Amino acid sequence: MANLNVAIIVKLEPDFSEGNVSYNADGTLNRAETKSILGPHSAVASNAAFYAKVRYGARIAVTTMGPPIADSALQQAQLLCDADELHLYSDRMFAGADTLATAEVLRTGISKVEGKMDIVFSGHRASDGETGQTGPQTAWKLGFTFLGNVIDYDVDVQNRTVRAKRMISLQGFYDVVEEVEAPLPVFIAIDPSYKASFNTVSQRLAFEKYRKEAKARAQDYKQYLKVFNAQQLGVDPKLVGLPGSPTIVYKVERIPKAKASRKAEVVDGASREQLAKVAAKMYEVLGGMVIK
Amino acid sequence: MKYQHLYVVIEHEDGKPVPVSLEMLGEARRLMDGYNRKYSADEKVVAVVLGHNVRKLCEELVLYGADAVIYADSPELSYARNLIDTKVISQIATNKELAAKFSDTSGFVKPRYMFFAADNIGRQLSSTVLAELESGLASDINKLVIEDLEIRHEHKTKGQAMKYEKTLEMYRPDFSGFLWTTILCLDNRNPAIEREYHPQACSIIPGVFAPIERDIARRGTIVDYVPKFDERDLHVKIINRKIVKSAVDFDSKKGVMSFGRGIKDSPEENIKLVAELAKELEAEVGVSLPISKKPFAVSEGASSTYMIPDRVIGTSGRKVAPMLYVAAGISGAMQHIAGMKEAGFVVAINPDENSPIKDECDIFIKGRMEDVIPLLLEELRKRKPAIEVRK
Repeated sequence: MANLNVAIIVKLEPDFSEGNVSYNADGTLNRAETKSILGPHSAVASNAAFYAKVRYGARIAVTTMGPPIADSALQQAQLLCDADELHLYSDRMFAGADTLATAEVLRTGISKVEGKMDIVFSGHRASDGETGQTGPQTAWKLGFTFLGNVIDYDVDVQNRTVRAKRMISLQGFYDVVEEVEAPLPVFIAIDPSYKASFNTVSQRLAFEKYRKEAKARAQDYKQYLKVFNAQQLGVDPKLVGLPGSPTIVYKVERIPKAKASRKAEVVDGASREQLAKVAAKMYEVLGGMVIK
Repeated sequence: MKYQHLYVVIEHEDGKPVPVSLEMLGEARRLMDGYNRKYSADEKVVAVVLGHNVRKLCEELVLYGADAVIYADSPELSYARNLIDTKVISQIATNKELAAKFSDTSGFVKPRYMFFAADNIGRQLSSTVLAELESGLASDINKLVIEDLEIRHEHKTKGQAMKYEKTLEMYRPDFSGFLWTTILCLDNRNPAIEREYHPQACSIIPGVFAPIERDIARRGTIVDYVPKFDERDLHVKIINRKIVKSAVDFDSKKGVMSFGRGIKDSPEENIKLVAELAKELEAEVGVSLPISKKPFAVSEGASSTYMIPDRVIGTSGRKVAPMLYVAAGISGAMQHIAGMKEAGFVVAINPDENSPIKDECDIFIKGRMEDVIPLLLEELRKRKPAIEVRK
């Protein structure tokens, strides 16, 4: 029996890296030509879960909702965190879900993971949808305390509590790093700036051991994979997919080009003489003296 | 009426509202003024405040457009904590007696509309509150319209055309900055899945809407709510709270030097050039949204210093208003423009004269940044002494 059970919710997303991403002429994403990958924020969440494995010997389950090919996101996450169990929730019925209907599937799925769940991790937000809503909504449906923007955490396994640092920007004021303590179970949305650090020799040894294990497991990821459809999950069809989504996309339009707000003077970037004038203007704007 | 009013969840720091709170109230006021004329004068803008010693803030919110303010005052609510805040806001939103203090509430069940801030706190709070209220939520909205719509939808209306009155159209710019998606939160009228979804809720991007002018003649009702805490919910403890200076400082710098996907031909070298130019101008470095998704392979140092969400200028990042804004290799998607249009003077460096950024700058330097920046640096350095003399 593991001392700590953790799960991660991840997402297969468009790969925005150059060479893999493709844009249409009008600047919008060409989804057909763009490859898919484990989302960058999902990868950070996987690293955060791996920290729990190295430090506390946590048992890790990685879960995702998506089409059959989303199993590649599970495999990539397993490589990062040495997951013991992979869950894919896949059913045509789930398609088109908004965040509330997605959270319903994830909540139901996580309840099917072996052992009593202590911590669920998610990324900051998906890089395509960018709502950041699915994590907290899943947390709420699970009845877990939600901790967002977490940059660092540690678990007191004996006392069943977690201590986390959160980075919060208060618009118009300042940033605040807040340290909180909460009883398990919790749901942690991990901040993009999170970095695990392993300071002792035994931690580094454990790190190496699990990294090696992760490589072997990810090569053979199907052995760890469980696929659930709607019926196997036992979700209420009225609460998932399009029927279970309060919101709809009513229309998508190009954002109308705003009227030119400034009248630009065009300068030849190869002309030293013209650039000299630009340089002078820059200093003038910044409040320096102008050389005539 | 089961669903009434527009509830606006206010954020503040020690009783001082964060700017987006007043911006949301301003937009709520404009929308409900229209609503009051078109549909019914009985529905109000209701501000919701959690905190400790916030009575003065509540009075202030009336002057900024609230018809009513419901507040919960307790030391337990001094700082935002998702769990109890979600519970208290949900209690307030479903409390008929509170609404009765400022309106006729026969049949009140929940708010009709609800606004939150699309910032660290509001984004998460809106998600959990709407999960609790079991209704729909759209994030990062920058335009709102209330209208009667005819909807024909496979699931919502079973393919029939149906009229949805007083529907909130929530416009959301997508990640590219080129597309606008309109999200609606609609009741399921299809008999097979019939279900009502209210409030229609969204989170609102900071810096988009204008507050209304503070008006000391405005009157409103302030309602005190005594929250019910579950002992267990108070187990989430704030151990300490440290104010930190962000590593990225747009506010105290006179200049901002931003770069975008135009670094693509030699990313590492171009980032170096950008950093040098920024140093010369004593400017902070900003980036366009795509850059924060790390689309280029560069050194770990360049990646973790520059290709980060903290530096994003635009609707999904920061709004800046420096005296000088330099945009290198940025095409000028609307989502970026929204973050820099208040700048005093704008210089763009771009090889493509058809880029939208050309209409948003004062000087357009035509050329690739790898060619232009070294020359510009030389010219700037020639002039540097004059600046130092001034100091």
